[in-house]
Amino acid sequence: MFANNQIDVSSLPKVEHLEMHPIHRNYLYVLFINIFLVYGSIILGLVIIRTFSDDQSFNQFALYAVCALTVISLFTSILYYLGFKKRKYAMREKDITYSHGYLVTKTITLPHNRIQHLEIARSFLARKLGLSTLKIYSAGESGGDIAIKGLPKDVAETQYAFLTKVINERL
Amino acid sequence: MSAYNFEEPSRQSAKGIIVIFGVSAFKLVKGLFIVIVAFLLKYLQSDKGPDLSHPKYLLGAMGLVLFFLALAVLRYLNFKFYIKEDHFFLEKGILNKEEVSVSFSKIQNVYIKQNLLQQFINVVSLSIETAGDDKTEIEILALQKPKADDLKKQLLAAARVKQETSVESEEDKIYFKASIKRLLLEGISENHLKSFVLIFAFLTSIYNDLQEFVNQFDFTTRFREWFRLDSESFMTLILFNVTIIVALLIVSFLFSLVKMFIQNFDLTVTRKAQGLEISKGLFNKINLGLTSSRIQTTTVSTNRLKKVLGLYKLSFTQAMANKKQQQNFNIVGLNINQIDELVGQFYPDVKNRIVPRKPNRYLAYRILWISSFIVLLINIGLYFLPGWFLLLNLPLLVFIGFNTYFTYKKSYYHLDEDYIVVGGGALIETYTSYLEVHKIQAITMKQTIFQKRRQLASLQVFSASRSITIPQIDITTALDLKNNLLYLVESGNKDWM
Repeated sequence: MFANNQIDVSSLPKVEHLEMHPIHRNYLYVLFINIFLVYGSIILGLVIIRTFSDDQSFNQFALYAVCALTVISLFTSILYYLGFKKRKYAMREKDITYSHGYLVTKTITLPHNRIQHLEIARSFLARKLGLSTLKIYSAGESGGDIAIKGLPKDVAETQYAFLTKVINERL
Repeated sequence: MSAYNFEEPSRQSAKGIIVIFGVSAFKLVKGLFIVIVAFLLKYLQSDKGPDLSHPKYLLGAMGLVLFFLALAVLRYLNFKFYIKEDHFFLEKGILNKEEVSVSFSKIQNVYIKQNLLQQFINVVSLSIETAGDDKTEIEILALQKPKADDLKKQLLAAARVKQETSVESEEDKIYFKASIKRLLLEGISENHLKSFVLIFAFLTSIYNDLQEFVNQFDFTTRFREWFRLDSESFMTLILFNVTIIVALLIVSFLFSLVKMFIQNFDLTVTRKAQGLEISKGLFNKINLGLTSSRIQTTTVSTNRLKKVLGLYKLSFTQAMANKKQQQNFNIVGLNINQIDELVGQFYPDVKNRIVPRKPNRYLAYRILWISSFIVLLINIGLYFLPGWFLLLNLPLLVFIGFNTYFTYKKSYYHLDEDYIVVGGGALIETYTSYLEVHKIQAITMKQTIFQKRRQLASLQVFSASRSITIPQIDITTALDLKNNLLYLVESGNKDWM
C-alpha cells in the first residue's frame, strides 16, 4: 500500500540537540608541538644565520621576520586553544557530525548512505600520544569529507568498525 | 552486427604514429617553452651567438627528431586494445608493459575528440572515463571516425544495458545549433573585465622580461615623443595611461571574442533519451555526452547585456569528470525557451515550484562593510595625489551602491523535497543553480563570529562535483533546512548516482 503522509518538519530529528563529544585533550599538545616545530625551526634558522652574517640589511630583515613570526605563532596558538573546545563530533544512527573552527565554526554532517570509504591515519606525534585521525570520505569533490583528528586510538577503531559495518550492510 | 571486430587485439590507425609523434613533440616544446624562448632571445641579442647551421647542431636536432620518431613507432607497435567478456583491454608500454582492463559497468563516459593535427590527417581520438580513480587515463589517439563511433557505441551500449534496462530510442534529433551570429553576440557581450584582469595579470607577471624587450625597440622614447611626456603635465600622463588602458581593453575584447569562437565553434546539442550530447570546438573538436543521472549541479547564467540580446548559458557539472573536461560541459547562446526546456528535462516541474525565499539583509551589510574597507584603502592612496582625484570616489560609491542593491535583490533560495535552487549575482551578472536533493553528499553549516552575534549562518551543500551555498539565513531556518535535507537524504533510498 502506497502512503505519502505529510512530514511534520518540527518532529524531525534535530542536529542542534545532538550531544557532541569532545576530542581527546592530548590533541591540543599535538597542535602546540606542531606550531612550535614549524615556527620554531624557521625562527631558529633565522637566528643562526643572523649570528654568522655581517650583512646589515639582512640582519635588520631577520629581526623583523623573527618578531613577526613570533607574533603569528602566538596568535595561531591562541586561536587553536580557543578553537579546541569547538572540535566536537557526534554519531547518529544514520549520519555523523563533526564541528570545528573558532573564527568560522563549521558543522558538517555526512549521511551514512553517502560514505564512500574510510581511513584511519596516525601521525608520529599522535601515535606517541595514543591518538588517531578518522577520515570519512564522501563522493564530494569540492569537500564534503570529514577528518576527526585527535580521537583516542580505541575510539577511532570502534567507530571505524561500526561505520564499516554500516557500509557493508548498505550494499 | 558491427562492421568492426573488436574482439581481436588491434592497433590504432597507422596515422597514430604521426599523432603520437606530434603530441610528444608538442609536450616537449611546451615543457621547454621558456628555455627555448630564452635561448632564442639570447641568440637574437648577441651577434656572436652559436652558429646554428653548424653540422653539430643540425645533427643534434636530427637525432632528436629521429629519437622521438622511433619512440612514436615503438609506442604505436606496442599499443593494442580489444574487447573481451564485457571488459575493455588495453596493452601498452615499450619497456614497462602495462595492461589496463576496464569493466563495461565502470565506464562513465566515452569522449571523441579531434585536435588540429588529428583534423588534418582525418582521425579522431577516443578516451574512456571510469568511475573512481580519475588518474587512469585511457586514450586511443588515432582512430578512423566510423571505427571510433562504433567502438563508442559498443562500450556505452554494454554499459547502459547494465545500468538501466531502458531501450535506447535512436531518435537523435539535433536540438540546438549555435549560429555564427549568436556566437559573435555571445563573444561581444562577455564580461570583458575578466579577460582584462587576466591579461593585466599576465603582463605584470612578465613585466620584467617585457621591459627588456621594450627597451630594445625604444618603445618608451617613441611613446614619450608621442605624448611629450617630458613636459610632465598631468593631462599627458593621464592621456598616456588612458591610452594603455583602452589598448588593453581592446585586446581583452578581442581575446574574449576569439576564445568564445574557438571554444564553441559549430556548437551542436543533440537531445537523447538519457540526456544530451554536445559537440563543439574549432581546433579541438570535442564530443561529450551528458547523462542526467550523472549531472550534479546545473547553472543558468547571463548578464545584463546578454539578457537584452536573449542569450543564456547553461553549465553542468558531472560526477567523476576531470577538471579540464568539466569546463566543457556548457552550452552558450541559448534563448530563454530553450533554457526552460532543457532545465525542465533534467529538473521536471522545477519552474512552477519555485517559491523564492530571501536571505537576511546582513548579506547586503556585509558587502557594504567589505566595500567601505576597500574605499578606505583607495582613499589612502588618493590622499597623496592632487585634491580633485578625490572625485573618483563619486563613481566608486555609485557603483558600490548599485552593486550591493542588486546583489541582495538577485539573491534567493528555494528548497522542496526534490530540488535546491539558489539564485544570485551582482550588478551585471545573474545566475541560478539547481541541485537535486538525492544528489547531496554532505551538508555543512558555517557560522563566522560576526554571524554568531546576529544569529545567522550559511548552509553549504556538497554534491559529487560542486557545492552550493545558501548564504546568510537565520540560524533556526538554517537548522530546519539542514534537518529537513538530512531527513530527505537519509530516508530516501534513491542512490546519488
